[in-house]
Amino acid sequence: MMKLSNITKVYGKGSLEVPVLHGIDLTIEDGEFVAIMGPSGSGKSTLMNIIGFLDYPSSGTYELNGEQIASAKESILAKLRNEHVGFVFQQFFMFPRDNAIKNVASPLVYAGVSKRERTSRAKDLLVKVGLGDRMKHLPNQLSGGQKQRVAIARALVNNPTILLADEPTGALDSNTSGQIMKLFTQLNEEGKTVIIVTHEEEIAAYAKRIITIKDGRITDDRRVTS
Amino acid sequence: MNIWESFKIALSSIWNHKIRSILTMLGIIIGVAAVIIIVAIGQGTKKQMTNELFSTDKNAIQIYYEYIPPEGETEMFWQEPELTSEDIQTLAEVPGVKAVVATNQGWGMMTHDDEQGEMQITGVGAEFFPARDIKVVEGRALYAADNDGLNRVVLIDTIAREKFFKETETPIGEIINLNDNPYKVVGVYESPLPEQFRNTETGEMLMPRSVISMMFGNREIEQLSVIASDPENISETGRLAADTLTTEKGLEDGKYSTNDFEDYERELNTMISLLTLLIGSIAGISLLVGGIGVMNIMLVSVTERTREIGLRKAIGATRRKILLQFLIESITLTSLGGLIGIGLAAVGSILVSKFSPITATVSPLIVLIGVSFSALIGIIFGMLPANKASKLSPIEALRYE
Repeated sequence: MMKLSNITKVYGKGSLEVPVLHGIDLTIEDGEFVAIMGPSGSGKSTLMNIIGFLDYPSSGTYELNGEQIASAKESILAKLRNEHVGFVFQQFFMFPRDNAIKNVASPLVYAGVSKRERTSRAKDLLVKVGLGDRMKHLPNQLSGGQKQRVAIARALVNNPTILLADEPTGALDSNTSGQIMKLFTQLNEEGKTVIIVTHEEEIAAYAKRIITIKDGRITDDRRVTS
Repeated sequence: MNIWESFKIALSSIWNHKIRSILTMLGIIIGVAAVIIIVAIGQGTKKQMTNELFSTDKNAIQIYYEYIPPEGETEMFWQEPELTSEDIQTLAEVPGVKAVVATNQGWGMMTHDDEQGEMQITGVGAEFFPARDIKVVEGRALYAADNDGLNRVVLIDTIAREKFFKETETPIGEIINLNDNPYKVVGVYESPLPEQFRNTETGEMLMPRSVISMMFGNREIEQLSVIASDPENISETGRLAADTLTTEKGLEDGKYSTNDFEDYERELNTMISLLTLLIGSIAGISLLVGGIGVMNIMLVSVTERTREIGLRKAIGATRRKILLQFLIESITLTSLGGLIGIGLAAVGSILVSKFSPITATVSPLIVLIGVSFSALIGIIFGMLPANKASKLSPIEALRYE
């Protein structure tokens, strides 16, 4: 369970200060499928970065499974990123010279998993995301949708509890987007907490809870009953 | 992630930018190769010069007379005191002295049959032969009796034998003329002098020094040297012998001293070391410049790979691991450069040794120093870029275009 209380984030200093988040209160239970919506510049990506331990809040508290982590050391946040979350980005972000297996296995390098174990886990996940026949391909030999599947496999490889996706379908056509969103839905049904940042209604529609942010404040938080 | 993993990532990153890596390494390669070759040549030269200067008489030390004018007078006619066989006997009893070699010199025109040539003659005693390890190849050496009895006998060296006598002829017992005086050849010896000091025209000869004194009017002992039983203590033994002789002769306006080879050797060493240091520091500057080149390229690499760094951080790399990765990359780069430099230096030393009289020797120690030094350069100049990489904020790095 994640509990964010009165989270603020200010970029810059002095007269150049740009407040991005104004006192966010948010609780997300394990196993939820959440979409964070909002126009660009609303602060939704900043919120996601704080949720995913990529950034520190300027003030407020962040409780993860009962532990305070808002001002934890950088090395602790790195460990949390490695073990608790899997990231999926709009631009995919692959290691361009590594094949699909190595890209998927990359977080395990920092977790200190042996090479054999890394390869076997990466292969299993590539099969799971439907890329069993593309394992040895380099990123530039894969389509956008295939790259995003590799990224999802990579996000899953260390068996995290939370999947964080920042505009995961932003660079994909609608058909491919639908496939990727079905994959997220399936993963959520298997028990993962899925948090997706998007500005598209159709994408948000896959989620069971939609949070809307405007000008750094939560303006709407509703649960979808299907 | 362990060191080996980082090392593999570093190697592949170097391999992926081959030309850039080689150009970056060039500074280190040239620097390391220059340092090692210069040190190798310096050591080779030192060895060679030491051998040339000192090997002929490695454990012999010359004793000479030094005139000290009385207070107030600068120069006046002075005469070296006459040395006698008793003095030699006294010197031979000085502790540490193995043998005393007393000689004098003469020049003479030698004729035999139709051959003629100027000969350098060394007047010696019987002790000369064992002390200087003279190899008599035909006939006999000189006896003490030859000196005492003023026997007009000579030994010629192998060069003179070749010039004045036919191969089939035996020179032993032959009478030769020296400045129109007859002498009997009693032996042939191999010259102990190094080739470059030999009189290759006509050769040289040995004669009882008393005979030289009588026939040429020289003093009987012109050169005096002692041979130490322990070459390590040659300087002390020489000094002790010289002092003993000074006391023995009761000298007031002069003394005996030694040519201290140790001083020469030390001076030579200092000179070569200074030269090596000088050129070495120029090479060191090349290494410094090479190091700055490495730092520069590592900074470029960090900027280029900002997104990669961001991604690595997002998937769980800590600052320390990013720092380590870039540090290992820069150490790998410089160490590789160092190894290539050592290879070049080895080839260079072989070439120098082959085409010049100097034997350049690449010692394992200098190789070790070379590798560790280039690795050290990698650490020093990799620190700043690696630190910069490790401090990147993951989101800013991921946003970097």
